[in-house]
Amino acid sequence: MNNTNLRTYAPAELDALEARLALRMTARLTERTADLPQDVSERLRFAREQALTRARAARKAQVAEAGVTVGSGPTLSLGRGDAGSSWWVQLASVLPLIALVAGLVLIQRVHNSNQISAAAEIDASLLADDLPPSAYSDPGFVEFLKDPRD
Amino acid sequence: MASDKELSDFLKSIEKRAFKRVAYAVRDDDAALDIVQDSMIRLAEKYVDRPAAELPLVFQRIVSNATMDWFRRQKVRNAVVRNFSEYESSSDDGDFDLLETLASQNESSATESASESVSRAQILLAIDTEVSKLPARQREAFLLRYWEELDVAETASVMGCSEGSVKTHCSRAVHALADALKAKGIEL
Repeated sequence: MNNTNLRTYAPAELDALEARLALRMTARLTERTADLPQDVSERLRFAREQALTRARAARKAQVAEAGVTVGSGPTLSLGRGDAGSSWWVQLASVLPLIALVAGLVLIQRVHNSNQISAAAEIDASLLADDLPPSAYSDPGFVEFLKDPRD
Repeated sequence: MASDKELSDFLKSIEKRAFKRVAYAVRDDDAALDIVQDSMIRLAEKYVDRPAAELPLVFQRIVSNATMDWFRRQKVRNAVVRNFSEYESSSDDGDFDLLETLASQNESSATESASESVSRAQILLAIDTEVSKLPARQREAFLLRYWEELDVAETASVMGCSEGSVKTHCSRAVHALADALKAKGIEL
């Protein structure tokens, strides 16, 4: 080994030397890539063209998307307008729910009222009848009512 | 947003280097071409709204990720790591020699001596071969830093490592290449 002649470099000097050497090597690599086989160059060209086609499609899609966003601007402003209109929208969305609950409560009350009226009618007819209500608790009278001959 | 022409010029300027870089890694030209094509398409579809100045870094990152994906699919990543560790054990003997020789030769304007003994094509082939023999991470750092001319921070960002690691990888790669070329009687 000829390490006896090694010269010591300052870090910056060593970095610069490495960089110079590396750049010379990569310059040779660049030279070599210029001589890539024809089929490889063709495939790279094809890949590039494919990519450009996709890029154009992507740009068109972006433009179309931007158009849709602009078109939907007024709609968005209705939903995301000032604070006052936002409250109205929220209130409007809650109204059907309130109406539903109110309807259910009303139906329940009408049903209860009907039941009470029916019970009152029965009670009234019992009290107005010639037969006293206590007769219905008499087992003999119940048997009399069940007798098919009557 | 990069225009069609800017994108086309960029891809044209970078496609061969990208192919070589991937081919060094995957050692399969067809796979390398597929990876480069996928990377180009991904760049075109996902990053077409980026300014032209950002394309090099973004593209290098895409290529690196696509190459890693390929390795994952091939399940040969362990082999790459093994190559790396093999190199680590044998890289420390006398790797300053050629650098010193190169410096003294530069000072004496004797850089043409190599091409007198070895033809230019052979030199190019030798460099190509030696680069392909570098451990994967060193080669990646070397190519990104000095071939793609990214700065240290950009290289670290593409490789997903620290700037210190990039400097170490680059330095080792240069010294390893210098040693190997010197052994073949090639001086740059």
